[in-house]
Amino acid sequence: MPFSKKLPLLLLTAFAVVACSGPDSFPVKEQPKILKDGRSVLRKGNGAEPETLDPHRAQSVGASTILRDLYEGLVSKAPDGELEPGGAESWEISADKKTYTFSLRQDAVWSNGDPITAEDYAYGLRRVVNPATASPYAQILAPVVNANAIIQGDLPPSELGVKVLDKNHLRIQLNSPTPYFLGLLTHSSTYPAYRLAVEKFGDAFTQPGNSVTNGAYKLDEWVVGSHIRLKRNTSYWDNANTGVDQVDYLPITDVGSELKRYQAGEIDWTSSVPIPQLDQIRKHIPGQLKTIPTLGVYYYGLNVTRPPLADSPKLRRALSMALDREIITEKITRGDEIPAYGWVPTVVDNYKGARMEFADWPREKRLAQARRLYKEAGYSQDQPLHLEIRYNTSESHKKLASVVANMWRVNLGVDTQLINEEWKVFLQNVRGKQLTQVFRAGWIGDYNDPYTFLELMYSRFGLNGSGYNNPEYDKLLDQAAVLPGGEERQSLMRRAETILLQDQPVIPIYFYTSKVLIKPYIRGFVGNGLGHYYSKDITIVPGRQSN
Amino acid sequence: MLSYAIKRVLGAIPTLFILLTLAFMMIRMAPGGPFDLEKQLPPEIEANLQAKYHLDEPLYQQYGRYLWDVAHLDFGPSFQYRDLTVNQLIADGFPVSLRLGGFSLLFALFFGIPFGIIAAMRQNKPSDYGLMTLAMLGISIPNFVLAPALILLLAVYNDWLPAGGLGGPLHYVIPVIALGTAMMAYVARLTRASTIEVLRSNFVRTARAKGLPERRVITHHVLPAALTPVVSFLGPATAGIITGSVVIETIFGMPGLGRFFVQGALNRDYTLVLGVVLFYGMLIILFNLLVDLLYAWLDPRVAYK
Repeated sequence: MPFSKKLPLLLLTAFAVVACSGPDSFPVKEQPKILKDGRSVLRKGNGAEPETLDPHRAQSVGASTILRDLYEGLVSKAPDGELEPGGAESWEISADKKTYTFSLRQDAVWSNGDPITAEDYAYGLRRVVNPATASPYAQILAPVVNANAIIQGDLPPSELGVKVLDKNHLRIQLNSPTPYFLGLLTHSSTYPAYRLAVEKFGDAFTQPGNSVTNGAYKLDEWVVGSHIRLKRNTSYWDNANTGVDQVDYLPITDVGSELKRYQAGEIDWTSSVPIPQLDQIRKHIPGQLKTIPTLGVYYYGLNVTRPPLADSPKLRRALSMALDREIITEKITRGDEIPAYGWVPTVVDNYKGARMEFADWPREKRLAQARRLYKEAGYSQDQPLHLEIRYNTSESHKKLASVVANMWRVNLGVDTQLINEEWKVFLQNVRGKQLTQVFRAGWIGDYNDPYTFLELMYSRFGLNGSGYNNPEYDKLLDQAAVLPGGEERQSLMRRAETILLQDQPVIPIYFYTSKVLIKPYIRGFVGNGLGHYYSKDITIVPGRQSN
Repeated sequence: MLSYAIKRVLGAIPTLFILLTLAFMMIRMAPGGPFDLEKQLPPEIEANLQAKYHLDEPLYQQYGRYLWDVAHLDFGPSFQYRDLTVNQLIADGFPVSLRLGGFSLLFALFFGIPFGIIAAMRQNKPSDYGLMTLAMLGISIPNFVLAPALILLLAVYNDWLPAGGLGGPLHYVIPVIALGTAMMAYVARLTRASTIEVLRSNFVRTARAKGLPERRVITHHVLPAALTPVVSFLGPATAGIITGSVVIETIFGMPGLGRFFVQGALNRDYTLVLGVVLFYGMLIILFNLLVDLLYAWLDPRVAYK
């Protein structure tokens, strides 16, 4: 047979192989990467390429993940997310809870062998608030004395409420008791920096060869778009307990490609899971799928500064009531998300949040009430509400928006139009508060405290896309902000949340879960709500081949 | 010929200047800016960032500053990849795109030309129909369908090739096939059409009449004439394949320039987008010039002064 005749046959066979081995086989190669000299390698999908490896200028999840391995803050986290001593061995908190004194580890050194001093931490903190650094996360230090004035350029960075007592002792002065302050000190913005490298190399101090770090790993290679390779930092004070020897972070934005590389044995731990493949994954490798409730809420923001949604809490409540959140999480998102009947995610520690009044009503009662409110707001079958939902380009947002529009149409009779916008256009319209009526949004907490969610709807908070402004709500938050924690602070925040749910400037839909695939030979993984993991806690145990 | 080439290169400078100016205006007209994020920055922090990147200056001043830097071949710092300059990103990304595009092109020519000739020689016979059906398939199957299918077949179900990433030559095999197939199919059809035309021409009849062996007729008489349309197609195609590999680079996680370009546009990374536009502009002008010179060399009727 001539080649030209063979070729179609060959191709047909090839497609037949793909087609036949279709739904009922889902090969996943389970082979860890161990280098010839016996060192173990963790290969992690890491979403988008990190924008920088400068701890004080980073803001993306992808960058913070890598920075947690490279640097260590004063405070660190155990695998389950509980706080534990990091660069500081211990700390004392004054009686008024406004002064923190940290004792650093005496034996800790940088990856080049230089000792780590209190001055290094102070330098890092001052660098973050320095306007010249232009740190996007500078605001995280707002609780520290003078931080805001320095960020605005009214005071020099040296005026920050941070004092070096001696080589191993550092004192931080706060404006008011901030119960979540220690948690902030695990954030990359509060990491120390090696001053000599910053001064010598400028923006390039983060590059391999220039980079000096104090975490469990040091930077070995950085090929933009391909990989970032970290190697064990043998100078790290707790090197004896560092698990895996090398970490390869792979920037992969396409979740479908990430899954294929996971299956092909090129990745041990994915950053995400494609929703269309969830059923196959649950069927074939259920043990490798981890869904972890996360400190995040997916919601629809309502622009309350313009008609038709302004001055009409009844209408806003009707829209919220008319949604079947369980159907959304079970049929659409399908990743064990929790239907949101409050604003603060249920996994936030030490807080029992408020719930929408209708959370436990039977469906019929809820819909009847929704229709009544809709009518009272002045709408009917003949005079339906016309509404626009705006969302940024994404299959999942689109799917959800069409489901929401459908629920509103069937349950209330609302005529909803879906408008897809490119990301930056979408952001600009939300901010402009002119065109946008309903917008999809999500909020991931910066720290494990209800305040990081409630603050979003504070009237003067820049991210309040709804334009919500309720002086009573603001007052409760102001009161809670200066309390050291405890039941009183909780109840103030709960009252604020109750008001928010009554006013409904936002429609919470579900609380996020993070979904990842992890190979069975990876040990030491414990899910936590913030999704903060340290590679040093991970070990690779080859040999086990089952799910 | 040399003076012609020099004239063309000099003529490119105003073209590039207009390209750069238009691109500068267009990206600035796009809504949103490089520092707009879901977690919007507090105004004072945004002001600090704007100042750091000179975005607080009037536009004409920024334009002047940018032109001055470009004239010194300094494309500035990237707004998105804040530790790197645009020069570094282009220097890192272009070799990847070049290898990917170059191999795909070679793949396309290596298979496309022989397939086209075979089909033309056996016009309207089963092998011609077979090859042309395949070519039609190759043109019709988009690379974002072909690529995942190839990955499944060659990397997931069978452990023959890597599924993605950057590494040795093996990492390029699937991406090159995925990127080059449509082009190969196009080249095959183009070659077939022009070969059929040339086969009917008088000088081929003459060559045959003077008793030359068929092989020599094909290699010495048919081929050079039949390939001119393929060559003129090569100029835009080369630029297109190097610049247009975004989808493949994304699917295979390869750090090529195409991906930087698209990501840069979405992120409003002004300097990166402008740098790549300018670089691509130079590349396209250069390839078109090369093709024109090649054309003159292949076809004695073409002469440049």
